[in-house]
Amino acid sequence: MSVAATGAPADEPGRLAVFWRRYRRNRAALLGLGIFVAVVLMALTAGLVEPDDPLRRAGAPLTAPFTDWATPLGTDQLGRDILAGIFHGARISLLIGVVATLISIAIGVVIGALSGYFGGWVDDVLMRVTDAFQTIPSFVLLLALVAILGSSIEYITLAIGIVSWTAPARMVRAEFMSLRNREFVDAARNLGVGDASLIFREILPNALPPIIVYASVIMALSILLESALAFLGLGDPNYASWGNMIGQGRAVLRTAWHCAAIPGVAIVLTVLSFSLLGEGLNDALNPRQKKT
Amino acid sequence: MIDAPPVLEIEALRVALPEGSDRPLALDGLDLSVRQGEIVCLVGESGSGKSLTAGAVMRLLPEPHVHVAGGSIRFEGRDLLSLTEAEMRALRGDRMAMVFQEPMTALNPQKSVGWQIDEVLRLHARMTRKERRAKVLEILDRVHIPDPDSAYNAYPHQISGGQRQRVMIAMALVLSPRLVIMDEPTTALDVTTQLQILKLIVELQKEDGAGILFITHDFGVVAEIADTVVVLREGEMVERGPAEQVLNHPEHPYTRTLVAAVPGLTPPAAKPVGTAPVVLEAEGLNKTFAARGGFFSGRRKAVMAVKDVSFELRRGETLGVVGESGSGKTTVSRIVTRLVDADSGSVELDGSDLLACSPAEMRLMRRHIQMVFQDPMASLNPRKRVVDLIAQGPIVHGMDREMARARARDLLELVELSPASADRFPHEFSGGQRQRIGIARALALDPRVIVADEPVSALDVSVQAQVLRLLGDLRDRLSLSLLFVTHDLRVAAQLCDRIIVMQRGEVVETGPTAEVFADPAHAYTRQLLSSIPGRDWTPPDLRTDAA
Repeated sequence: MSVAATGAPADEPGRLAVFWRRYRRNRAALLGLGIFVAVVLMALTAGLVEPDDPLRRAGAPLTAPFTDWATPLGTDQLGRDILAGIFHGARISLLIGVVATLISIAIGVVIGALSGYFGGWVDDVLMRVTDAFQTIPSFVLLLALVAILGSSIEYITLAIGIVSWTAPARMVRAEFMSLRNREFVDAARNLGVGDASLIFREILPNALPPIIVYASVIMALSILLESALAFLGLGDPNYASWGNMIGQGRAVLRTAWHCAAIPGVAIVLTVLSFSLLGEGLNDALNPRQKKT
Repeated sequence: MIDAPPVLEIEALRVALPEGSDRPLALDGLDLSVRQGEIVCLVGESGSGKSLTAGAVMRLLPEPHVHVAGGSIRFEGRDLLSLTEAEMRALRGDRMAMVFQEPMTALNPQKSVGWQIDEVLRLHARMTRKERRAKVLEILDRVHIPDPDSAYNAYPHQISGGQRQRVMIAMALVLSPRLVIMDEPTTALDVTTQLQILKLIVELQKEDGAGILFITHDFGVVAEIADTVVVLREGEMVERGPAEQVLNHPEHPYTRTLVAAVPGLTPPAAKPVGTAPVVLEAEGLNKTFAARGGFFSGRRKAVMAVKDVSFELRRGETLGVVGESGSGKTTVSRIVTRLVDADSGSVELDGSDLLACSPAEMRLMRRHIQMVFQDPMASLNPRKRVVDLIAQGPIVHGMDREMARARARDLLELVELSPASADRFPHEFSGGQRQRIGIARALALDPRVIVADEPVSALDVSVQAQVLRLLGDLRDRLSLSLLFVTHDLRVAAQLCDRIIVMQRGEVVETGPTAEVFADPAHAYTRQLLSSIPGRDWTPPDLRTDAA
């Protein structure tokens, strides 16, 4: 009776299996995952569809979709293949989405963690800085940054990361404020664990699930921000990005609407997939929030 | 009283749990009846289904996941299970009422106390506004709330926990119901307040003659008020009988284990530790919690949590720190381990002052003073495996990883857990097992002093006894010194050689446990001791086959 625990049951499913089972329950999340995988595949196979340059002239200008099998989705006013643009654009969109999200989450986690963990004047200073960023509409700030830095793809990505860290910082701060007073943090501190380890090894893993969920939202927002920039003609003209394609298609919207509509659909689907993905992750990572 | 007609009759009640639960039936074949003017105590450990019984009677189960699967519940002869929802609503609050465990969450924080009692009258009685107000004031007076007029307009957060529970009772009793169900109504209260509330319940019940179904896990409370006792284990009724008989001559082995696990009030013989060297010496500790004001609002009133507290702890000794909530006992435990910084004072551990250490020095000193926390779930990082949790301390202090892990497995054996459980996560264990893990973690650094902050108050009574025995055992084997913080005097009596009694941040009495219990010098200590529920009942010695 006193030797209490028995050995772990052998057939207990691993964490990943449990995670997958929970994720699978949400049909919309599965759809999101499907679209996401498709976008990733498009990015990976872009080189097969158009090995040279998606911006080269591939056929007669303004070919309608499904009329010429050399350019299945038609061409724009410069005769560029829209299908090739969509595939190569997937690369750019994903690249911007992932890198900008990493930048914004990294800044957000560091600022939020320091602020929430230490509190006091550290919190005051960091949160006033955050307030300052939040008071400027993020797109206006983005325009300003791009105007200063220039519109190459690296700077655009960096600028998107810089304008979107405030929300994750606030969220991480809130998580840390509630977690730092939990007994397991005291218990670790009582073992002699230092501040850095407490923040990154003890608290952060417990604060991670909502951050991961939010990352999917930021990814969707980053892609939208890049498209919006490109639509205004501020994107990097050397890459076939979806936003660039819409921006150029705008000029021929009445005569050849497909030039703008097709990349538009691509953006809608990709952003949708990220938010469905995020919702699915939320259900799977925070099962207690929702009643089964 | 035995001849009085039954108010509530439950026969062969079965309540089903949703699929995939640890057992298919939350309650399996419960029979019980509550007569007019009778207090029936439903006793059981957590998960025994006692709260679901209340839910079933009030028809407040979280249906359809949890639903009544069979049996009958009759209230004044009417079958409750066949009533419509509208008929049930008319009964609730009027003929039958309920008092919940936590009055802060059971009362609406947005409405005044008077409004909430008034609501019951508005729903069930045809009275004018004036009559209702008079009635509310009358019931507030009957539950002994000082100044009913001002209490009428007070909001729940403006009155104390004990008064909130009085308001809950007033709300339940305002229409003189025939049946009152009380679900652990005193568990969230301090011991002195608990006694007052129990007395109030008995007094009001004598006047009104209602039947009371009183749900509790505490045998002390049972001894205090019960006429009849029903013992539940995992949904099955194991014993039923008059209180006197169940408490003193329990028949079922499970009841015997439960009763045997109730700590007696006889402290252990004082150990001759007067000569052992002093390990930990605290001197003149002070701590004020200054509420930080906002930018525009000025500073709020500061709270003196600890006022000039001094004590010494000798090797192999257990010093109990007892007091009610707000007495500063937890703050003392956190100052000593420097989880909270004191305003002034010193804590000497083997000659070096912990409070004067730099953060880096303190990290090194922590190996000598370790802590066991109150809530074993909250104090174990849910994302770490047990072996890593236990090995963490030694690794931080420079032990080789593999060695630390191997030692962690040995420690699991020391706290009577299977070494095979090392690779599992905390949530896979029961509360008692988790607390064992917490103890193993504290032991991993070979500390000289262990500070235990309410280590057993989150545990069921039978588990409590095991963990206490383990702690005492380890203390003797490893000649540890224990600073044991608790609100439960029964627990203190079990383990502590000496105790200090704290009230509002100050030490009011200190001395060997046996002496303090036999002859308390301070009025507050006397009040605490006389408030222990069931203090006149000594659990019978049943330690024959019980674990």
